[in-house]
Amino acid sequence: MADVVLSIRDLHKIYPGGVHAVKGVTFDVHEGESVAIIGSSGSGKSTVLRCINRLIEPTDGVIELRGEQINTPVADVNQVRSRIGMVFQSFELFSHLKVLDNITLGLRHVRGMSKSKAEEVALEVLERVDMLERVEAYPGNLSGGQKQRVAIARALAMKPEVILFDEPTSALDPELIGSVLKTIRGLADEGMTMVIVTHEINFARDVADRIVYLDHGQVAEEGHSSIINEPKTERLQKFLSSINEESV
Amino acid sequence: MKSASPGIERIFSWSAIDSKSRVFILVCTLLICTIPHSSGQETITGWGEAESWTDKDLNSAVIQGEIAWVFGDSGIVRFSQDSGATWQNHTSLGDANLIAADSFGESIAVLSSEGVIYMKEGVDDEWGTIDSSQTGINSIALTGEDSFVIVGNGGNIWQYIGETWWNRTTSFSENLYDIDFNGDEDGLAVGDAGTILATANGGATWDYRESPDEDATIISISYFNPYRMFAVSDSGQILYSTSPGGFEWRLREIESVGYNTTLATTLSSIDVVSSSRILFAGPEGYLGLSLDQGLNVERNILPAGVNTSFNDHAMFDYVSGIVVGDSGVILFTDRAGENEDIGFQIPDYNNFGEFVEYADDMLLSGFIATVKIVVFGILLGFSIGVLLAMLKTAPTSFKNILERYSTNQIRGLGAVGLIIGLWLLYTGVTRFPKLQLEGVEYIFTPVGDPRGFAMFVLGLAIVVISIQFILADKKLSGRLFKVRPLNSLATVYTDFFRNTPLIVQFMFIHFGLRLGMRIQQLMEGTFGDPGIDGIDYFFYGDRTFLSAIFTLGLNSGAYQCETIRGAISAIPSGQMEAGRSIGLTYLGTMRLVIMPQAIRICIPPIGNEMVNLVLNSSLAMVIGYSELSRQGKLMIATTFQIFSAWGLVMISYFVVTWTLALLLRRLEETTRIPGLGISGGA
Repeated sequence: MADVVLSIRDLHKIYPGGVHAVKGVTFDVHEGESVAIIGSSGSGKSTVLRCINRLIEPTDGVIELRGEQINTPVADVNQVRSRIGMVFQSFELFSHLKVLDNITLGLRHVRGMSKSKAEEVALEVLERVDMLERVEAYPGNLSGGQKQRVAIARALAMKPEVILFDEPTSALDPELIGSVLKTIRGLADEGMTMVIVTHEINFARDVADRIVYLDHGQVAEEGHSSIINEPKTERLQKFLSSINEESV
Repeated sequence: MKSASPGIERIFSWSAIDSKSRVFILVCTLLICTIPHSSGQETITGWGEAESWTDKDLNSAVIQGEIAWVFGDSGIVRFSQDSGATWQNHTSLGDANLIAADSFGESIAVLSSEGVIYMKEGVDDEWGTIDSSQTGINSIALTGEDSFVIVGNGGNIWQYIGETWWNRTTSFSENLYDIDFNGDEDGLAVGDAGTILATANGGATWDYRESPDEDATIISISYFNPYRMFAVSDSGQILYSTSPGGFEWRLREIESVGYNTTLATTLSSIDVVSSSRILFAGPEGYLGLSLDQGLNVERNILPAGVNTSFNDHAMFDYVSGIVVGDSGVILFTDRAGENEDIGFQIPDYNNFGEFVEYADDMLLSGFIATVKIVVFGILLGFSIGVLLAMLKTAPTSFKNILERYSTNQIRGLGAVGLIIGLWLLYTGVTRFPKLQLEGVEYIFTPVGDPRGFAMFVLGLAIVVISIQFILADKKLSGRLFKVRPLNSLATVYTDFFRNTPLIVQFMFIHFGLRLGMRIQQLMEGTFGDPGIDGIDYFFYGDRTFLSAIFTLGLNSGAYQCETIRGAISAIPSGQMEAGRSIGLTYLGTMRLVIMPQAIRICIPPIGNEMVNLVLNSSLAMVIGYSELSRQGKLMIATTFQIFSAWGLVMISYFVVTWTLALLLRRLEETTRIPGLGISGGA
């Protein structure tokens, strides 16, 4: 078994309003593995994901990145985040910067690279996501799929140990989803460690090595991607059938 | 992909103006530039013309006590007893032309072209005759009541002393044209080839002085005192010496003719009448006056019809005197010939042109003063606004700040704070005056010592916070840890400045806090005295200027803060998350991601605030800063033109704000990012 990159133990999150969104979630992510977190709306998928890079501060529990706990006050949160890439549902490209500058921003100001070095790296990752011809464009002039590919490139450029995808395709038109999924699949094939929160069940089955099914803030079922074809628990069966109904 | 050039949208684009309008603008500009300068003033001559009862050329004039004498061709003599206004005939002195005259005390002497000298030793004495038997004599100078020196062509010098002639001719054989003595010992003689000869013993021996121009024909000399010697050449040069004995001579560089060394005229006579006042005379109707030793020479206006060659002056004192010329012309003056400005100007400020002429300097200085405080006020206000907005939006609760420290460290901090707080409380309370006043009207008396009261309040706050720190648990769950101290400070600041009148803020800051004075003293201590101009004076020479900048900046900052905060809130929270998720710090994300977008969004409302600042700057008049409005008041105080004065002030404000608005519009256009915000034609 490969090394454990990310380890989540008994994660709890209670929001200020008293909503207990995550109730004791535990799972591991191994080197080169892609884990898909699925579940219905409000099941706590995004909360778990955001707790991992501390965009949300967990109420209780332990999160370890390569064996060191990262959710303590003494851990350098900026350093931790620079090791964990994040791709958002709504892209969140820096709209005042051109595509190239979106990607070099972190390299220059977090990694401390020179402008020319950063641009070299940026062009490299933009080639990987097939966005080389739009480096001078502003995000406002890109299509949704292109924006998301640039966002992926931005995460990749930092050479993260793990990339978190927060519903990367749910803000996209159906015909644009394909290019983004293709890019993510390419990354999986290259052996990138990834945690993907998604609604695309078929995509999860194809790409993910493992599926974590969350229901009401708890891990209801976890296992190899084949569990989607052969769900063991009733709750997952129900969830899958409701999704199939939708897609019909 | 680039958006289309916004050129057409610009306000000032010559190419976008159609040709009819262009012609109109050009014609208007031309008209405005060529409106003639209107003046209610006239300058007339300072000379009066006197009747001389002769057409003969008058060559020389001299004053004997109260009597003025003039001498001319064919031995003609005239005298006046009323400062040159009316003249009487006198018996001719011989038939020859009388060419030069001089006086010494009560004694006067006149020289004829045939070398005969006529002398009159007192007002009541008769004319005596002394024949020198010389020809080609040009000038005479008395060295005593009955002694004199004459000079002439070929360097001829004769001294007459003790009723005896002495030949004092030197080896210098150039023609000598004029001679003048200061007292009875020191004299100077001048002539061709720049010759200047000097004597220190009444003319017995003569020494050569080096000439500043060896080609000059020095035609006339005036030896006023040992430090003031002036001479003129016939080509209009002014020579001067300020060294006793006349050892060193220079050519005057005349300011009024562009630092040339020659006046643009030929000269025949110079007369120094005071230590700075010099009169000049020349052919072709030239009379000139300098009030500053020849640096500036102003040509006298002559009475109508007079255009003769002038030959000699004679002055009773330094203002009244006469000048004589060819064809029997005698002019007299009581103002040294200075041009006279008459009909003293009664400015008609109802005439807009004259009003503007009077007011333009004041208006311009007010305009500059306003622009000065506006520029600095905007810079300061914007910086303060950004700072406050950051403070208000920053997640800086005590919990955020303290959670990286251990509980024991926090408790230690609390203990230190408690001690400081208690000390402040104690000091504050003991400073309260024991006024023992009763009644609700003394509600402010506890504040009696504002410093004590401030310490009391501050101490109270610190004690409360410190107690919470000491009681801190591991999770920092106490209510007080949610307090955001920086936010609170910023809120207090903005509330204060937005809920008090600006005019009161001006007076409180300038007269109460005396901020301008304090800054000025601080700057003086650091950079030295500001002087009265230059860069130091610009920055801290005027304490009202400093107070005005700070009041405007502090006030505008409070308003701009809210605007910028709004713009920051308008940026989707995902932008902050995205910035943080690539590892940027909070401040880094603010600087690199949030602010560049927020500022773009808030350019229009910030522009509003800046325009407001310009308009509010008019209140700086209450602290005595001489900006536009104050200048407007001063203009009215002297001209009573209320409509025009406030009208011009209003237009000036409009120019400032409109320019500012244009600049901001241009800024908005150039910083526009496609896809960011909804802005016309992105």
